[in-house]
Amino acid sequence: MTIATLAPPMPSGLHSGAHGLALVNEVDPYTRRPDSGRDAAFERDALPWLDDVYRFALSLTRDDSDADDVVQETYLRAYRSWHTFIPGTDCRRWLFTICRNVFLRSRERQRPMVDLEDGEQDAVAAGSVYAAAREKGYDDLYATLDLAPALRTALDELVEPFRSAVILVDVEDMTYEAAAQVMGVPIGTVRSRLFRGRRLLQEKLLTVAEDLGFVTGPRASAA
Amino acid sequence: MSAPARMRLEGLGLSSTCVEVLRHLWDYLDDEITADGAERLRLHIASCAQCQEYEGYQSCFLDSLAKLRRELDAPRSLRDRLAEKLRGEGCRCWEQARRRTL
Repeated sequence: MTIATLAPPMPSGLHSGAHGLALVNEVDPYTRRPDSGRDAAFERDALPWLDDVYRFALSLTRDDSDADDVVQETYLRAYRSWHTFIPGTDCRRWLFTICRNVFLRSRERQRPMVDLEDGEQDAVAAGSVYAAAREKGYDDLYATLDLAPALRTALDELVEPFRSAVILVDVEDMTYEAAAQVMGVPIGTVRSRLFRGRRLLQEKLLTVAEDLGFVTGPRASAA
Repeated sequence: MSAPARMRLEGLGLSSTCVEVLRHLWDYLDDEITADGAERLRLHIASCAQCQEYEGYQSCFLDSLAKLRRELDAPRSLRDRLAEKLRGEGCRCWEQARRRTL
């Protein structure tokens, strides 16, 4: 994957333009080199999240080499636009935002034309999936079986933007608000994407359980 | 709520409060619900075996997802590449990018 070096991003909703403009040209007047204060802050606030950003990039790209490219571009953009980062705010969230933008730009993906309005239909549909699982004796599926491999595969196969929502909230433990900032969408959209993603994962796992003939509970034993 | 969804719920024979649990359980488990709403759901779940079972099922599902978070480190080669790029940008802390534990 080739990632073109582009102008530094301005992640939506995160930065104060006035704050950034005051620090755009942080150059030591004597040496004409970048201000060491900026570098110290970058080292302290941004570099510790390299492993997290890599993990997120890998979950988006599903390819080691592509993930490396995305992470490298993410950090270069972050360094070049460090003046837009507000000290004291969540740097991990800011880096994830840049990372996702780099990924989307590299794939030239666009946001879906139509977004889901709310997640309740999927929440309700998940109840139906549960009812089906219960009928088949899989109601304790997650409690009794190590579904990690199947779940990881199902998550990898989940299409965007549902995968990002599930990864950010369920795997990376972000709030809906934080995930909304990373994805650049309203909180309600994160919720609907998240719920759709969860429902699709549960349907997929139920199919996997059936295909593999998992037997988990007394109801299944009696059947 | 759509007609098909309503029909599915009626098929499950749920009370109106159980339906509220169904609609908002994920918000509740994500701690993304109002205090009043959370309290209402908590009280109902405590007294409804069916909803307790459903809460347990969904909690296990979310726990399974949370466990997918691996302690995955950025590879050495990536750190080296990034360090060189940052150095090229004039970053004085480029050497720190090589370190695994900062």
